[in-house]
Amino acid sequence: MRRPARRIGTLGDVVVLGALAAYAIPFFWQLLTSFKPEAELLRVPPLLPSRLTLEHYRVVIEQSLMPQALGNSLGVATLTTLLALVIGLPGAYAVARLPLPGKRLLLLAIVASTAFPQIATVSPLYLLMRALELRDTWAGLVLVHTSFALPLTIWLLAGFIREVPIETEEAAAVDGAGLLGIFRWVVIPLLAPGLASTALLAFLFSWNEFLFAYTFTVSGASRTVPVALALFPGVFEVPWGDIAAASMLASVPPVLIVIVLQRFLVRGLVAGAVKE
Amino acid sequence: MRASAGRVSRPLRSLLVVWLLALGGCAGGQPESEVVTLVFKYARILGRADPLPALLRSFEAAHPGVRVKGEALPWTSDDQHQFYVINLEGRSPGFDVMMLDCIWVPEFARAGWLTDLTTHLRPDELAPHFPSAVAAATYGGRVWALPWIMNVGLLYYRADLLAKHGLRPPETYEELVDQVRRIRLAERDPALDGYLWQGKQYEGLVVNVLEALWANGARLLAEDGSVFPEPARAADALRFLRGLIETGVSPAWTTAADEELSRRAFGDGHAIFLRNWPYAMELFETADSAVRGKVAVVSLPGRARGERGVGSTGGAHLGVSRRSRHPELAVALARHLASEPAQRAIALGAALSPTRQALYHDPELVRANPEMPRLHAFALAGRPRPVTPYYLLISSTVQPEFSAALVGVKPPERAIADARARLSYFLGAIR
Amino acid sequence: MLLLAPTVLALAALTVYPGVWVLWLSLQHRIPIFDVSRFAGLDNYAFLAGDPRFLNAGRATAIFTVASVALEVVLGLTAALAIHAQRGGRRLALSFLLLAWAMPAVVTAKLFEWLYHPTAGLINVALGARSLNWLGDPGLALPAVVLADVWRTMPFVAILCYARLLAIPAELYEAAQVDGAGRLATLTRITLPMLGRILLVAVLFRTLDALRAFDIMFVLTGGGPAGMTETLTVYAYRALFQTLQLGFGSALSVVVFLLVMAVAWAYLKLLRAGTTVAA
Repeated sequence: MRRPARRIGTLGDVVVLGALAAYAIPFFWQLLTSFKPEAELLRVPPLLPSRLTLEHYRVVIEQSLMPQALGNSLGVATLTTLLALVIGLPGAYAVARLPLPGKRLLLLAIVASTAFPQIATVSPLYLLMRALELRDTWAGLVLVHTSFALPLTIWLLAGFIREVPIETEEAAAVDGAGLLGIFRWVVIPLLAPGLASTALLAFLFSWNEFLFAYTFTVSGASRTVPVALALFPGVFEVPWGDIAAASMLASVPPVLIVIVLQRFLVRGLVAGAVKE
Repeated sequence: MRASAGRVSRPLRSLLVVWLLALGGCAGGQPESEVVTLVFKYARILGRADPLPALLRSFEAAHPGVRVKGEALPWTSDDQHQFYVINLEGRSPGFDVMMLDCIWVPEFARAGWLTDLTTHLRPDELAPHFPSAVAAATYGGRVWALPWIMNVGLLYYRADLLAKHGLRPPETYEELVDQVRRIRLAERDPALDGYLWQGKQYEGLVVNVLEALWANGARLLAEDGSVFPEPARAADALRFLRGLIETGVSPAWTTAADEELSRRAFGDGHAIFLRNWPYAMELFETADSAVRGKVAVVSLPGRARGERGVGSTGGAHLGVSRRSRHPELAVALARHLASEPAQRAIALGAALSPTRQALYHDPELVRANPEMPRLHAFALAGRPRPVTPYYLLISSTVQPEFSAALVGVKPPERAIADARARLSYFLGAIR
Repeated sequence: MLLLAPTVLALAALTVYPGVWVLWLSLQHRIPIFDVSRFAGLDNYAFLAGDPRFLNAGRATAIFTVASVALEVVLGLTAALAIHAQRGGRRLALSFLLLAWAMPAVVTAKLFEWLYHPTAGLINVALGARSLNWLGDPGLALPAVVLADVWRTMPFVAILCYARLLAIPAELYEAAQVDGAGRLATLTRITLPMLGRILLVAVLFRTLDALRAFDIMFVLTGGGPAGMTETLTVYAYRALFQTLQLGFGSALSVVVFLLVMAVAWAYLKLLRAGTTVAA
């Protein structure tokens, strides 16, 4: 592996790493804040607290909507991901492999839907949710989230499917496997990393989504994490420490994904951008 | 090929397990029972002790088989309103008793979201409350909410500093500006600000601007429904507020200040004057307060050649959702919370002012806060914001215009003119 | 065909149908609270044409989009080159970047609200006596929001560029070395041209996102002070849900929609033109 920057050496590595660690300071500062005693929050400097406390986490877990919101977000994001994959996988396969009339137009529509601004459909969807009595339910939120996760899913999966050598499918077909069999025994196993990447992105999308969740959720029955955080309660007073603790809880799944499943995340991100 | 699939699975599988466990944990359903549950939406109350849980428990004790679930609202008035508007429109909002900012009651009543309480109440039941609070709860001759918490704009001042420089509390804003100059000149403390108030773009800004308009003889809404009937005086009031910031009487961050930001700066001893609600009074007297024993209150100043100063009234009401499945119980809960013992507990625990006038002369409460009788007079003299179903439409339309004038990106005259043009289009669409 | 049915059905019901409905709504006076529901023709659009708040929101949207996308590209490219030049610790370096990207925008807003706190915020503490009124000053609020957004989304650009850098064949660099090209020449003659296309794609994605940005300013400033950070989407949302002016708000939504589609179309044209030239 020869690179032009070879001579910079270890010192350069340290500088770059240091700079990037500094880049993450807003996150670490909030992390520190979440453990700071209430009385020291607004007295800076000193930057470092005299002691660490779990008090803010206790307040958030015992007195706020956050625990329910975490459950809701987990449920909604999981169901959204599953629904988008179940609907999207066959669709993506068709787009990638089968000769279809009007395929170009369809692809264009899918690309266009990924660029669709949520604000454009929120008012009709609000009336729709109201009419169907789906406000403040998981089902309602999963549906609208899927409508936005689906185009993304198809787009990504179609790309991954094209990477699977068509010869393996043809070989399976010669061996007498039906379309379903090819799917189950050939495409899905080969597609596993791609599926994982796609699922991660769909999950993150739903976990992070705010505009719809803010509009369509009412109570602990369906309120998701970003909304619970944005509407963190208090009269006159801003509970900075509690908000810090709540925002750390809201970041747990994304952070886990970044640390544990980084490879799939990057793959998904890149795949989304480089197709056609 | 299999190898690559296997490599996928390991980290995925471990995360999958964690995630399934978590999912299972939160999907555990609640036990079904015959208990009636009432949902009470309210904004979390801070103070020495939140009195609400105890009040809700005492209601449950008096009504066996009823459970009351308190659910917190977002923390700014505008967010709360948006929350209610999105969720009350249409069916089954899922809550029974609602804490309402008094300015919303006519709007919510007109929209058909509130239960008409008139027939539920004894004829004289609201007599002990402030008349302005009762007026705010009434629309079309019917009562739609119970007065709960009273608010009125006050001028807090540093009694120690004024006494030190031989000054009396100001009666006009001109006097106030002059006193700020003199005290700051003598104190030579660069960290000492003059007059703090709420200039952030939100409902509190409208309150502050209204107080300035009234002191200058201008109104937001005339009886005949026209907006800014005195545009020149209104623009002049805005220019005066902008001037406070430009001349440094009020700090530059006033344009980002809400109640709490300004209250804290004043409480840390960094200002001479502060406009705020009565809740701040008690917070200045806590053991660790930097201004303990140094703060006094007076009614807001007027203008030298204008009206006498008057604080805007505000406060919270309790409404019952028309969609409540247990209207009788919900009304009972609202009455319980607005009762004299409950208002006393709230006044003692959270320093929020009651709407029942007798409590302002109650020995126990006066002992806790000796200013209670004066507060009563201020609240009686206070002036309500326009009582109209379109209040929020009007307020949300003028907020950005007021803000633009205060930060100086728009001349006051144009801000008023733009606000009028927008309002005539929006109100025109309704009428 | 059967494989596509669920997709087409879902998109038709949840995207196309509301998309048509919003057009219809925008032609009405529609305020459910006050029982207002009547045809308004193009009234709402006509009002918007002379609405200073609309023009202001358009200005804020344009500045926000151009400034944040430009900064993201410059910083993202720099970060990608720096990480690519690293010999060790790349995974850790990527983690720091991805951390900022993966969190909900609402969390980012809360992070920066705390950093911008007038007295206790880390930024003002660092500035000491020259502390600034970040979210209250009309001149600073929009830059403050841009900064928060750049922090959150720059990693996206960086990751795309980094991945493309990995794919550049080592032979190209070896050839350049043989030719005696310096570091700068290598960068401008090989690296940057190879990145051109991916940068264009990154700019497309980010521009479309920035044009419809909502979460970050809604939570951080609510559009204030004086509407300096009120983008078209925030304005539309306020009109829609602060007082449920569904007709007027929908007209604003349609404008945002058309804007996004116009920009997407223009970029796709540009991309296609780029492809034919390359081929």
